[in-house]
Amino acid sequence: MSGQSVSMGRRSPAKAAAPLLLPAYLWLIVAIFLPLSAMVFFSFASDMPFSGKPWSLTLSNYAEFFSSSVYATLLLSSFRLALEVTLWCVLLGFPAAYVLAKVFKGRTREAVFLLVILPFWSNGLVRIFSWAMVLRSGGILDTALNAVLPFKINIDLMYSYPAVIIGLVHSYVPYIVLTCYLSLQAIDDSIIEAARSLGASRLTILKRLIIPLALPGILAGSVLVFVPVIGSFMEPRILGGRTGTFYGTVIEDQFVAVFNWPLGAALSFILLAVVLIILAAASPIMRRAT
Amino acid sequence: MSKTTRFLSALGRGYVVLLLAFLYLPIFIMGLMSFNASPFYQLPMKWSTTWYEALSQDDRLVGAALNSLQIAIITTVIASILGTAASLAFFRYNFKGKKVLQTLLLPPIAIPWLITGTAMLVFFYGVGIGRGLHAILLGHVALALPYVIIVVNARLQTFAPELEEAARSLGASQWQITRRITLPYIAPGVIAGGLFAFAVSFDQFVVSYFLATPGQTTLPVEIYAAIRKGFTPEINAVSTIIIVISMALMLFTARFYKFGGNG
Amino acid sequence: MKTYSLLVAAASVTLLMQSSALAGDVHVLNWKGYGTDESWAVEAFEKATGHKVINDYFNSEQEMLTKLRTNPGLYDVVMINAAFNDQATAEGLIQPIDVSKIPNAADIGEEKAASPMLNHDGKVYGVPWVWGLTSIAVNDKSFDETPTSIQVMWDEAHKGRVTLRDDALEAIQFGAIASGQNINDIKDMDAVKAKLTSLIPQIKTFWGSENDWNQMVAANQIDVGTYWSGSASRAKKNFNLPVTFVVPEEGAVGWLDALSIPKDSKNVEGAEAFINYMIDPAFYTEWDEKVGAPVSANLKAVAALPEDAFNRKVMGDPKVAERIQFQAPVSDADREAYLKIWQELKVNVQ
Repeated sequence: MSGQSVSMGRRSPAKAAAPLLLPAYLWLIVAIFLPLSAMVFFSFASDMPFSGKPWSLTLSNYAEFFSSSVYATLLLSSFRLALEVTLWCVLLGFPAAYVLAKVFKGRTREAVFLLVILPFWSNGLVRIFSWAMVLRSGGILDTALNAVLPFKINIDLMYSYPAVIIGLVHSYVPYIVLTCYLSLQAIDDSIIEAARSLGASRLTILKRLIIPLALPGILAGSVLVFVPVIGSFMEPRILGGRTGTFYGTVIEDQFVAVFNWPLGAALSFILLAVVLIILAAASPIMRRAT
Repeated sequence: MSKTTRFLSALGRGYVVLLLAFLYLPIFIMGLMSFNASPFYQLPMKWSTTWYEALSQDDRLVGAALNSLQIAIITTVIASILGTAASLAFFRYNFKGKKVLQTLLLPPIAIPWLITGTAMLVFFYGVGIGRGLHAILLGHVALALPYVIIVVNARLQTFAPELEEAARSLGASQWQITRRITLPYIAPGVIAGGLFAFAVSFDQFVVSYFLATPGQTTLPVEIYAAIRKGFTPEINAVSTIIIVISMALMLFTARFYKFGGNG
Repeated sequence: MKTYSLLVAAASVTLLMQSSALAGDVHVLNWKGYGTDESWAVEAFEKATGHKVINDYFNSEQEMLTKLRTNPGLYDVVMINAAFNDQATAEGLIQPIDVSKIPNAADIGEEKAASPMLNHDGKVYGVPWVWGLTSIAVNDKSFDETPTSIQVMWDEAHKGRVTLRDDALEAIQFGAIASGQNINDIKDMDAVKAKLTSLIPQIKTFWGSENDWNQMVAANQIDVGTYWSGSASRAKKNFNLPVTFVVPEEGAVGWLDALSIPKDSKNVEGAEAFINYMIDPAFYTEWDEKVGAPVSANLKAVAALPEDAFNRKVMGDPKVAERIQFQAPVSDADREAYLKIWQELKVNVQ
């Protein structure tokens, strides 16, 4: 996210930026950062301060992460899940965004653009339960395919890793479509025409021109997919069955099954740290790719 | 247009239709099951409007849906305005701590909502904000802001700052530049960001659940509270009505406004 | 501590803000769809007493406690599982109840009313409401003869058609029963682990909600799984599903749900009236008949059920009663230890 600096006469840039930034960040401070700071504090407590039990400050909750291989294993599988979901979303979403930006015109484009967002407006839980309906054996997909196909097949994707991937990709692919669309739509058609008249092949244009120009959109979209998916717990729990235990579900348990907020908070902040490290490590690689 | 181009365009259109089919499959199932007499989604379908009749009797659920809509709309407006302003600041100015401020947008997205919700409940209680629609709104706007900022920012990345520079050298004021040049250009980004904000708020079942007061519920609260028992297709019915109405509204507005930008 | 003074200050602010609530309102905190929010019942109660009922819900016991902690004075009645009553009392979240103001309480079974889990220092902190079992239920379509042993869960013939609730405490206690141990005093945790480890490959999925369970039976995806007695009778009666609840010879876990009055309730009188109504035979018989319910703690209410009712015939059977192990309070440390074992099992055995 590198912005362009413009010197604004006498005022210093920070002073000029402040009135634009303050409302948003004040809001974030009150509603998110202060509550989360309280959680950071709890993550160093041996017991919850208002549970009536004696408590002290400790690092043991963070040490717990390293005490058994369970947490690291789960974090790794959540990382893999998030990576796979992001890749699928980009693979499925980018072409659609391209068609939307460059092939569809006028009212059709407006309509399709809106149609992509609309599924978002239904409740996430309701969507997950609908997928359960589609994917299970004797469900919609199974019944429909067997009605069409001459031979009998049995589709039972429910309660499996692929079911989790399908559910998550479905929830998050619109992010990629929209962010890619925003940057693709800004590419001037005449540049593409010029490249073509100079004899560049379609593939070259895509690789050398379109993808680099659309990269901010792809990256922004990927962040919006990768980051929440790595901590997701609802989709894995409901769709994943026996394979549905991930890092997010373990955090959830610390809040729901037991009153161990300190450990739950510590696990969340370890997750946050890992996410930030991944993004920091990925940004130079991404930049070189352009 | 060459033959290949035409072929590729057709292929592309076909692909988008397929993707839309994928996106709408569960929505369609949701609608279908709201007409299924069996509360367990049993097949074959037994058509029935039981759940819609039950819904028409259920003031609580309808009220909750209306509350959700109201909160989502207010959230969208506030988050779009504050978020766009912040994006403009990031775009125009280079200052110390900018990277830090941008990185700070990630925690609200990365920390599972359950934890954020619990943190808000405890903190709001601690400082006297308490629970209620005002607390939900406070939380929703905060959750939606990072999405708006990131999306608008992605759009701004494609904007040539020389345009603003040129206008400035012609003597335009900062406000004129923003209103006449920058805002029209980033409008698609702002609208997309607003649509995200709406979705974040409307879909937000965990945070609302923690912050709602008894008797003043929202739709997601009703849904999330039913996790232990599982919800009845009444929820499907109300969700279907909402989707159909919003689809109609959106397509209607699409006839008159350009959401996708020019070009 | 600074945090403390902050909390105290906040509490007083919250109290001030909430004192405007109507005196006639009864705020009830319970699971959703668990008796207290049945619209016909609420209507009848409001008509009879003039108190208005407002329901709020929780999704886990931990959340219930958190809601009580962060909303002092908001709730008037809260449903607390007897195993959690200790903790709520110790934290000062609930107040002693004057049972003489609740006429129906006189008909509650002696051993439930006097339960040491609900009585502290000679005072009553919870009025027993309903009780039930956590055991197994089977899909009738998959069995010619209803099994009588818990070992059916491990039967090769049902591989991939077994379900277990995704809950550490339930899983460990289930393993204790299957390995012939006392659920409240597990001596041989390795035996429990071994038993559960061999169970996991049998499992189709972990269920979360009653609806999950019923859907899987409706779609004929499972043969057998752990289930709650009240839910099984609801599945059978209300939804006509082929479900039979089994109290196996190895035993079953019993639990008791009680109604308590939170500290600082602003409508104690309304709360007492509501609790009285909740254990009334008239309400209970209608609840069990219309919806399906666990067993009422009120003996007269159970006696008012039809003779062949599951909650009277099976649950009232002395031979069944012998096999029930009632859940005692579980310490936080044990809960955390159980959770860890359960998570490790789920991750390592896939």
